Amino acid sequence: MRYFAVRFLQMLFAVWGVATLVFLFLQLTGDPMEVLAPEDMSEAQVAELRHAYGLDRPLHVRYLIYMENLLKGDLGVSWTSGEPALRLLAQRFPATLKLVLTALLFAIALGLPAGVWAAVRSDTWVDRGLRFLSVLGISAPTFWIGIMLILIFSVTLGWLPSAGAGNWRHYILPGLTLSFYRIALFLRMIRSTLLDVLTQDYVRTARAKGLAERVVVYKHALRNALIPFVTLVGLQFGQLMAGAVVTEWIFAWPGMNRLALNALFTEDRPVILAFVVLTAGIFAVVNFVVDLLYGWIDPRVRYA
Amino acid sequence: MRRWLAVLLLPLALGYAQKPLVIAYQGGAVTLDPHMRNETTTLSWQHHIFETPFFYTPDGKVVPVLAEKIEMVDPNTWRLYLKKGVRFHDGSEMTAEDVAFSILRAATHKKSQMKGYVGKVVAAEALDRYTVRIQTKVPDPLLPAHLDHAAVIPKAYLEKVGEEGFNKHPIGTGPYKFVSWLNGDHLNLEAFDGYWGPQPAFKKVKLVNIPNGATRVAALLSGEVDIAEKVLPQDFPRVERSGVADVRQTPGVRVIYVALDYWRAYGSEGLPKGAKNPFLDPRARKAIYMAIDEDAIVKRIMGGAATAAQQFLAPIHEGYNPEIRRFPYDPKAARKILEDLGYGDTDGDGWLELPTKDGGRVPFALRVDAPNDRYLNDAQIAQALANMLRRIGIKASVNAVPKKVFFPNMTKGHFTMYMAGWGSMDSINTLLSLFHSKDPSGLYGRFNRMRYKNPEVDRLIEQAAQTFDRQKREALIQKAMYIAMVQDVAYIPLHYENVIAGVRKGLVFVPRPDEYLHAYEVKKAR
Repeated sequence: MRYFAVRFLQMLFAVWGVATLVFLFLQLTGDPMEVLAPEDMSEAQVAELRHAYGLDRPLHVRYLIYMENLLKGDLGVSWTSGEPALRLLAQRFPATLKLVLTALLFAIALGLPAGVWAAVRSDTWVDRGLRFLSVLGISAPTFWIGIMLILIFSVTLGWLPSAGAGNWRHYILPGLTLSFYRIALFLRMIRSTLLDVLTQDYVRTARAKGLAERVVVYKHALRNALIPFVTLVGLQFGQLMAGAVVTEWIFAWPGMNRLALNALFTEDRPVILAFVVLTAGIFAVVNFVVDLLYGWIDPRVRYA
Repeated sequence: MRRWLAVLLLPLALGYAQKPLVIAYQGGAVTLDPHMRNETTTLSWQHHIFETPFFYTPDGKVVPVLAEKIEMVDPNTWRLYLKKGVRFHDGSEMTAEDVAFSILRAATHKKSQMKGYVGKVVAAEALDRYTVRIQTKVPDPLLPAHLDHAAVIPKAYLEKVGEEGFNKHPIGTGPYKFVSWLNGDHLNLEAFDGYWGPQPAFKKVKLVNIPNGATRVAALLSGEVDIAEKVLPQDFPRVERSGVADVRQTPGVRVIYVALDYWRAYGSEGLPKGAKNPFLDPRARKAIYMAIDEDAIVKRIMGGAATAAQQFLAPIHEGYNPEIRRFPYDPKAARKILEDLGYGDTDGDGWLELPTKDGGRVPFALRVDAPNDRYLNDAQIAQALANMLRRIGIKASVNAVPKKVFFPNMTKGHFTMYMAGWGSMDSINTLLSLFHSKDPSGLYGRFNRMRYKNPEVDRLIEQAAQTFDRQKREALIQKAMYIAMVQDVAYIPLHYENVIAGVRKGLVFVPRPDEYLHAYEVKKAR
């Protein structure tokens, strides 16, 4: 219970730290009115607008107001749309979540078996081929993968839509684009951990008992290899929720990463801050959940 | 059996008939409150739902929309007569109350971004059901045109649902009514059958934001969208070859121009330290002008997606002066002018030279400042300008930076030569902002960053801004422009960016020069 409380406080502290840092960094980017106010307004009119947004107050006052509101759960109002920043993000949260889950599903469905395959057949042409593909997957830029998939599957073949979110067909291309790197990452991770586990004594014992190789690999070895894998999937989830920017942008995905990117272009600072606080929160919570999951997969952690 | 087939196919057929017209924009509306964000895409989307008393036709004329006509009572008072029988989407009739309320809201709401247009209005009141009296603080001869940014909203409805409620379900008098939207992403619309004007060609419309150019084109070619704006020049051949769509272009109102330091004799920041600034002399500015091969820029850098500018104003602008033409491209003559002015190469290294304050001479080095993320191919254009200047013996270099850094730096005067763009439908606004000398009150010369100053031009501009007679006003603008562009060589115009759209075959549509894109201006080919 105490462990839980400490972890929870750490989580809050991390979110506060990130919010403060981003708040301060945003101040370094200059006067938001340069971008926010339309060119045809006079200086007096721009000053009025600045006052309306509270930007004529000193920095520390703005920071204190911001923190006070944050504690109340108020993440501010978007400067460009006039809507609460949290509502804008909430409208787009499900789209990002579904995209990220799709990508992780693809990555696990392809990366995990491929990793096992590569490990079991280590140093054969299968292994070498898969490792070569994984290098491609890790080094190919998301931007390029996305455009290529669109050119092949939307323009040339006409099988799948290129932009927006609608039915299941809309998920395939952005999901794949986002999963490429993760497929490769999962493959390499599973391969190396499994190879490591397969040399352990208990595996030799299991084999000596005369168990089928399938049972040895999947029941005994893989289970242990899964522990670091779950951590990795959890971290990737957190990273993707705030890191699907390029993919959402290319595929015109109505997710919150694209909203944040746009907010960055238009100096909509309340939305940028709300995005950062929200994703930092998600990241912290996911890490927390991953820790709990350990206990489920590895009983030793549970009893310790 | 056949009957069953028909039953099965009927919904398909209906679905096909009601397939919406889909238009892909580079951005998306961030609010549907028509007074809160003055930005082209947001306004484009809003124009489907809301209308204004006056609006511009695609060829630059101001015409009444919700207004019947307007009369000037005295320079500060106007009487606006409204069309009768105009209905809002909830069925209620638009009255003078709504119009007065809307104009005043656009003029005075603390977060309104329309003050650049209607900020001079101090009062608006309904005289009867269809007449509004408008009062301005100072005379504004262009008030009718400026009312193009005063969208009319139903007063009673707004007061009932509040601003938040209004943004969730906006109501206007436009040809399309709101169905649903995701802020910044898409907007679904349906034709309003109680619309006062002609019904639009498409019953259902979907406006979507596809920020990436390659994806926009892909969506057009794969049939997901019917019109895609801002097709990039490198994608033109792909669209033309596709057989399903083609590229349509219109010269826009945005002019890309070069400005030269007009106020510092020494210490201009894009020249070598201590060097004399040659650009206080119009002949030196003309030399730079003549060193620029604009046709090459249009052809090689813009891929034909631009139109060489003869002057600062475009032909559709009020006060366009057809007598002003580009100075010819002539690098030899350009170099000769600079040599005659005493900037010739004396040490034989090939570079022209500038005298310094202490009597020495330094090579004529010049930094060309430009943004790299604001205009189509901006950094490449700046690079081409530098190359052309090097050909006449100026050691030019390029400093291309993001717009967030560029514009504040230019406003602070950290330049000798910069490239930027300007787009406005309103000539008086252009003259007041860029050609009138800067004054401390900020009223004049707000974007005259190079501090061009000619008292005669100032006088003509001020006079034009107070002239209500269109013909007289045009003559004043023409005269001011002639002095500024031909005698003073105040700015060097490069080109007008073309407004570009990829359009599905079978649709009748030409892009507007002001970059607004409206579904109700799209027709089906017969």
